[in-house]
Amino acid sequence: MTHKDADAERLLHVDTLARVEGEGAMHVRVHDGHVTDVQLRIYEPPRFFEALLRGRSFTEPPDITARICGICPVAYQMSACLALETACGVIVTEEIRAFRRLLYCGEWIESHALHVYLLHAPDFLGYASAIEMAREHAEVVEQGLRLKKAGNAIMKAVGGRSIHPVNVRVGGFYRFPTRQELRALRPTLERGRDDALATVELVAGFEFPDFEQPHEYVAMRADDGYPLESGSIVSSSGLAFPAQRFADHIAEEHVEHSHALHSRLIKDGSAYVVGPLARYSLNHDRLSPLAREAATAGGLGPTCRNPFQSIVVRAVEMVYACDEALRIIDSWDGAGSPYVDVTPQAATGHGVTEAPRGILYHRYTLDRDGTILDAVIIPPTSQNQPSVEADLRSYVQDRLELDDIELTRQCEQAIRNYDPCISCATHFLDLTVERT
Amino acid sequence: MVVGIGNAERGDDGVGLEVARLVDQLHLADVWVTYFREPAQILDEDLLAADIVVVVDALSSGAPVGTIAVREVDDRPLPEWTGAGGTHAVGLAAVVELARALGRLPDRLVVVGVEGADYEPGADLSTPVRRAVQEAADAVVALVHERPDGG
Repeated sequence: MTHKDADAERLLHVDTLARVEGEGAMHVRVHDGHVTDVQLRIYEPPRFFEALLRGRSFTEPPDITARICGICPVAYQMSACLALETACGVIVTEEIRAFRRLLYCGEWIESHALHVYLLHAPDFLGYASAIEMAREHAEVVEQGLRLKKAGNAIMKAVGGRSIHPVNVRVGGFYRFPTRQELRALRPTLERGRDDALATVELVAGFEFPDFEQPHEYVAMRADDGYPLESGSIVSSSGLAFPAQRFADHIAEEHVEHSHALHSRLIKDGSAYVVGPLARYSLNHDRLSPLAREAATAGGLGPTCRNPFQSIVVRAVEMVYACDEALRIIDSWDGAGSPYVDVTPQAATGHGVTEAPRGILYHRYTLDRDGTILDAVIIPPTSQNQPSVEADLRSYVQDRLELDDIELTRQCEQAIRNYDPCISCATHFLDLTVERT
Repeated sequence: MVVGIGNAERGDDGVGLEVARLVDQLHLADVWVTYFREPAQILDEDLLAADIVVVVDALSSGAPVGTIAVREVDDRPLPEWTGAGGTHAVGLAAVVELARALGRLPDRLVVVGVEGADYEPGADLSTPVRRAVQEAADAVVALVHERPDGG
């Protein structure tokens, strides 16, 4: 970190922003007491997954795109399957859909537990790392590790392994586990649900800066249940459209300072927010009764506009995911086929599902033998980039009286509100605040 | 407990798994062998239930490829060459420190590392690393056969 002349120019620089996934930089310029420029710089080289997919078979994207992220591989598999099945005119059975929800619950639990306990909670409790926090709050960290393990247990039982599951295929799954195998998860998930409820209580007691974001919220909404593996897209201003109209409402643009494309709403060019706050605020009525009670007990209303409270929303979503996983397991029959046959055809298909960090869009164009001619993947972190920058701009503007160290710390915390998976967007973060 | 860590699809990164597999094939009494992709998964295990935990992993210390290093975990942090991790994953050194902070370190925790060179996706073990697998397995077996008094 460097600090130039306070009267003329202030420059804060953090080489490596810790506790985010991926690599990038943040630059904030302050001139004459006004924030004039904020840039979330994602400079990790592009990974070219979309180009890599061209010429591949339509059966391959679930396994290839899962490698984009070790934290949310299921999201990539689910959006890929949905897009490819849509292109081929296939609708999976309700049993397969339920099994996909179960797998997704596992990912949400392990991803949210990682972020809440190991990445974000140290900010609120005043520690530089989860290791430091563990020295004085071992029971808190153990609770988080138990929750993460519960999520991993679902991933292993349903997906075949806890990182980069291997049981997913276009049209469904290679194998359904037996009822007994799934029932064996029950004690772990019941304990997980208790831990998730305790998590809501814990994080609701944190102190949150007085800050609200004005951005439009965009999330999925399904015919029933909290959105995970299917549904259409809705927004806080009343937009409602299916996945195949994604490009009519959301545009990607290249900005010089980032290797990840920024996304904006076409209607007015504005930034928007995807992820837990948007999902919660647009689907509060779809939470399970227990999760809704937990939200109320945690001090949340039916909507939440303070990004620092996203940690509470993630905890509520863990309650929901445990609850939903138990519901699916209890009603599981597993008697049907684990997959439906998918015959390729020349067509374009679109798929959107709710990754832990927000909506993840896939689009594939196939030729008649199923060869991929074109692929587009828009992850949640790249969609949130303009909103992160806008949040930083207003947050810093209102706190210029803070010294460089404290302002930098709070900026990093504000970035972590979004649980950015910069590796997905392509990636890392060092922070520069320049004041002139 | 013997823990092999690595990714078999990333060249020399899979050496920990190969060494653990060799030990597993010996069916040693009272020895539990497990395999993980990421060091953080070690925390899913009850480390305190074992008299000794031997972790086998690939190393990047700058030593000649195939070099075997044995490091007993004491009250000092592990050196960074054991894998300090980064923004994408929690490395072995950080996992050990987290286990220490949680009071979950076993009586003995030993890291057996094999210096790797080629971590390309889809690659097999490099020749020098493959040659070191048996020797590393022998080192693991010697460790789990040691009595607490060193005899």
